[in-house]
Amino acid sequence: MLKDSTISTTEFKLDQPPTETVSVLLDGKKVELPKGVSIAAGLLSIGEIISRISPSAQKPRSPHCLMGVCYECLMEINGVERQACMTDPEEGMVINRHLNSKGEDA
Amino acid sequence: MSRHYDAIVIGTGPAGLSAATRLTKMGLNVVALDEQQRPGGQIYRNVEGAGDDRLNFFGPDYSVGLDLVNEFREAGVIYEGGASVWQVEADGRVCYSKDGESCRISANYIVAATGAMERPVPIDGWDLPGVMGAGAANNLAKEAGLTPAGKVVLAGSGPLLLLEASMLLKKGVEIAAILETTDFIPPVDSATKLPKALMGWKLLYKGTAMLLELQKAGIPHYRGVRNIRALGAEALSGVEATVKGKDLSFDADLLLLHFGVIPNTHIFRQAGCQMVWDEKLRYWYPGCDSWGRTNFEKIFAAGDGSRVHGAVAARHKGTLAALEIACCLGMIPESERDAIAEPVRKAIRQDNFPRPFIDAVYAPNPSHFEFNNNTVLCRCENVTVGDVRKVLDEGVRDLNEVKSITRCGMGPCQGRMCGPALAEIVGDYLSIEPDRTGLLSVRPPLKPIPLAEVASMDLGDEGTDGGNWLLDKK
Repeated sequence: MLKDSTISTTEFKLDQPPTETVSVLLDGKKVELPKGVSIAAGLLSIGEIISRISPSAQKPRSPHCLMGVCYECLMEINGVERQACMTDPEEGMVINRHLNSKGEDA
Repeated sequence: MSRHYDAIVIGTGPAGLSAATRLTKMGLNVVALDEQQRPGGQIYRNVEGAGDDRLNFFGPDYSVGLDLVNEFREAGVIYEGGASVWQVEADGRVCYSKDGESCRISANYIVAATGAMERPVPIDGWDLPGVMGAGAANNLAKEAGLTPAGKVVLAGSGPLLLLEASMLLKKGVEIAAILETTDFIPPVDSATKLPKALMGWKLLYKGTAMLLELQKAGIPHYRGVRNIRALGAEALSGVEATVKGKDLSFDADLLLLHFGVIPNTHIFRQAGCQMVWDEKLRYWYPGCDSWGRTNFEKIFAAGDGSRVHGAVAARHKGTLAALEIACCLGMIPESERDAIAEPVRKAIRQDNFPRPFIDAVYAPNPSHFEFNNNTVLCRCENVTVGDVRKVLDEGVRDLNEVKSITRCGMGPCQGRMCGPALAEIVGDYLSIEPDRTGLLSVRPPLKPIPLAEVASMDLGDEGTDGGNWLLDKK
């Protein structure tokens, strides 16, 4: 269970503002993500560092490898657990990280 | 619908791009399956969408990828982006998932250009948010133009660690420290490798210039560092380490780890390819002939997935695999295959000249790994080093037995992140080399996919075959 979503001081800045964005529903909240880059990178660009609650450790995690190896960016994307670093955002996509759960599999 | 190809190329980094392009240009029917949404692999990640600023920033080593991708597009290779391969069979069949649907296709030949990954070395707190691979930061920069905003510590070993540091420096990032486990004085062994290395002077010059820049910027840079620890309760707050008995401590918003690069071998292991242990570089790779053919007639390995030799060699290895496949399919005679291959082989040798030197300096030294008992080894299943040592104390010896008892390697990443370290820990405990501890078994599906997707998948004209083909493998 995530007590405070701002626990991480890790921050990334975009070198240039995105030319195009798509809006997705992130944990029930509408957010704009840059178009044409992975969801994992897009979330980091808007300060969303925590990608999931580890089901085994029940602790927050952030993406680790960004190349499809570590599975720390697994999140529920349109109802299916997918690697956010390998998935592009689409208009109206529903993304749930279940950060307030105890980390059970979604 | 039956989909049969002359060749299936898996991965579109330098090796996959060159193999697929060449085969398609020869008139063969080729599909390139890419886990990413855009071709380029890790090294040329998002090179088509990078724009001039990013192409200039990363320089010719990156922008050359644009030429390769353009050539690949112009050749008209069938490109399947966002395609996760989850099963490869020696008979030429491949199952993959794309947009929530799975299908099975087949080919006369498969070129698996799976590329490399950063060697995962567990340290205390590496599972905290804010701890990433140095390659992750590199990927974020290439893919999305993302730059870390706070204090960054880089830790580990290998030339790519310093390369990443110099890139961050160029972008004006505040680097709190560089912590290298590599010893200050290169091992004696590396000196004997020098003359050949000088033939690759451009690369070495680049490395030296990089070091000077970092030095000039006054970045605290330590060598011979041990026991690197990431601190924080629920997210990273700082980094501690020791050097020559002295404790170091740094505030950090981001810790980037890098301990060299190893082949990404899950596809080869799942297919049942013969694996070979490299004692010096401490990694497994698929045994291949000089064209990249594995012990299976239809399966080729190309690029860093076969052995880590870098992007230039990877591109050439992709060409060699394509030449042999084209020859086997009767497109070119052996004489032509050999004539085209000769300068390619020469180019690989030339590109490899500095490598023995670099490998001698940066070869992983198991005595540098700490593996504290309380360190999380398996991130997926939250298994600590101590949990594994406990079952070793109880007499368990086999890697897969350790896995079934502790669940180490049983999570969604299938041991990609813990496997190499697990073998080192078990090997160290038993005083044997990791090649004698065995390898964790890799089973399909290589990527977690919903069971419903498997149940409803398109099997092509052949339909189901005898037995339970998904679960009945190894």
